[in-house]
Amino acid sequence: MNKKLFTVLTLILVFCGLSFSQTGTKKKRPLPYEYGRVVINNYSEKADLSPVVFEHWMHRSKFTCRVCHVDVGFAMKAGATGITAADNAHGYYCGACHNGKMVEDGKVVFASCSRRAGVQDTSRCDRCHSLGKRVVSDFDFFTFSQPFPKERFGNGLDWEKAEELGLIKPASILEGFSSHRRSLAAQKDFALNSKVEGMPDIIFSHTKHTVWNGCELCHPDIFVGVKKGTSRYSMVDISEGRSCGACHTTVAFPLTDCQRCHSKPVQP
Amino acid sequence: MLTCSIQERTRKNKRGLCLLVLACGVLFLTSVATAQVYLPGPPPQPPSDYGKVVLDAYSSAPGPGAVVFDHWLHRSMFTCRLCHVDIGFAMKAKATGIRPESNREGFHCGACHDGKRLIKGKTVFASCSSAGNDTNCARCHSLGKPNARKYEYKSFTAKFPKSSNYGVNWEAAERAGLVNPIDYVEGISIKKAPMQNREAFSIKAGYSWVNPIWFSHEKHSIWNGCELCHPEIFQTARKDTVHYSMFSNIEGRYCGACHGKVAFPLNNCSGCHPRGPMWAQ
Amino acid sequence: MLKRSIALFLFMGLVAVIGGLCATGGPASSDAQVAEAPEAWKTEFDDICSRSQNAMTFSQEELAALIQRCDALLPQIEKLDETRKKVYMGRLRMCRGLYAYVLDSRKNEKK
Repeated sequence: MNKKLFTVLTLILVFCGLSFSQTGTKKKRPLPYEYGRVVINNYSEKADLSPVVFEHWMHRSKFTCRVCHVDVGFAMKAGATGITAADNAHGYYCGACHNGKMVEDGKVVFASCSRRAGVQDTSRCDRCHSLGKRVVSDFDFFTFSQPFPKERFGNGLDWEKAEELGLIKPASILEGFSSHRRSLAAQKDFALNSKVEGMPDIIFSHTKHTVWNGCELCHPDIFVGVKKGTSRYSMVDISEGRSCGACHTTVAFPLTDCQRCHSKPVQP
Repeated sequence: MLTCSIQERTRKNKRGLCLLVLACGVLFLTSVATAQVYLPGPPPQPPSDYGKVVLDAYSSAPGPGAVVFDHWLHRSMFTCRLCHVDIGFAMKAKATGIRPESNREGFHCGACHDGKRLIKGKTVFASCSSAGNDTNCARCHSLGKPNARKYEYKSFTAKFPKSSNYGVNWEAAERAGLVNPIDYVEGISIKKAPMQNREAFSIKAGYSWVNPIWFSHEKHSIWNGCELCHPEIFQTARKDTVHYSMFSNIEGRYCGACHGKVAFPLNNCSGCHPRGPMWAQ
Repeated sequence: MLKRSIALFLFMGLVAVIGGLCATGGPASSDAQVAEAPEAWKTEFDDICSRSQNAMTFSQEELAALIQRCDALLPQIEKLDETRKKVYMGRLRMCRGLYAYVLDSRKNEKK
């Protein structure tokens, strides 16, 4: 009797499960200025503020990934850092730069989460706590991205080329946070076999990645395997945000841009 | 004692049978409720309605009215790839999040409908212009407004070869040179090194009495490129690692992302399961 | 008389110190990174983690030594205030993790 009940219930669950699964469909593609958007709401709503909306495109034109994700210490997943207003007010996380004193591009960077914020600060608070609000930013994506070389997908911009052309000069040191490092001993580039015949192999450039990320950002948190070939992952893993997908689904160029990675010419 | 236990067992069996019948009933209802019927139903009539997308996330009253997008006009002029990959339209109604602001900024519809772009020698009218008395609004916001559209299905597709099953045979139309879909639009598309086309292959159907599917990568990639399907719709790196069935297709997943909505409908069995004896495949 | 004078001078000194502290706002409210001299644990942290870029050039012994220094630093960071503890625990974890990773790869190479 119990066995029958169990089988029946399992069958019902399986059928219901099948009707709710979501593979095999195309996901919504964010607009170029929305790509890389992170919504943070650990504490904002509890403090009667709108959740924070962080756009990557502005900051990545000014700083390398390492400055924020290694030196300042931001996590790579929304909400995982646990930033509080107190942290910011003490000059950490967002407050590392957003402290009302730092000067960037001739402008003073507005302070985040000051210790004594009153009603007169609403417009300043709204600059970050902007989910659901029509906030006019100082920086407009279209004006900003006008001179940039264009690419498909993601932000629609070729960030690599933009740096080559000198349109952006991301800083890799933040005073007071970055340990002054010696020059990087770059690792070699290498090829990764794609498992599908006819699909070009991937050429992975360590040089390109370490210029922006350093070493700690990927090793060992994202890429654990020590010997080449020991980290086994597939496109499925990547699209779920593991391995390469830690960046290349949300901030760096997305997976739909096949030829950016699968770039080794195929032998006829 | 013996009599009592036989009676008990009979009662238990009856209860078990009742439960089984109940379970079958629930499963059947679930299947029907979620359209898990095995055979795909007929596509909508008339064929001019096939591929129609109604967008009313923001435009219903007091706005200008819901947008009706007919696929047949645009697919006669552009490849699927151009809109769904280069411009970035989603493959589900209202999933893109098109707004008048984004159109004016040159995204989505505004990528071509900007009042300046020349397509096949004609200037494309601007979408969602900020000008007040725009007579062009109803050309898109046409739900419930007869005669608002410039092109009409019957007259437009009169010369196109028809499919024996349903609607226009777009492949034949392209072969005959009646349609010449544009795959590259200046300022939107970016030329990439071509990827080698994978070969055509056959997929075994789940039931022995059904002919295997013959899938042609070449035919699909002429219109879709690679990125439209990979890796989001078909995630697998290796054939045979993703299992899906007619259930999934009818639900609008995998092949059903296009076939059943815009590409030839799923009740056109021979379109994928070619006729002919199974042993000859 | 002498005792009274000493007591008076000490009291005036105390008043002066308190007055001075009030004027500058005290160590708690001045900019933590700029006004103070770096603390010992911070100097040690900077020294250890500034070498991460060259991790691949170190020998196994050097890497092991760096890992040991990270481990020794951990209890000092745990004693910090909540914000700095959160920030530096994360950073130390990444830094130590990298050295351990590179050490592992060295050991694997030898095999």
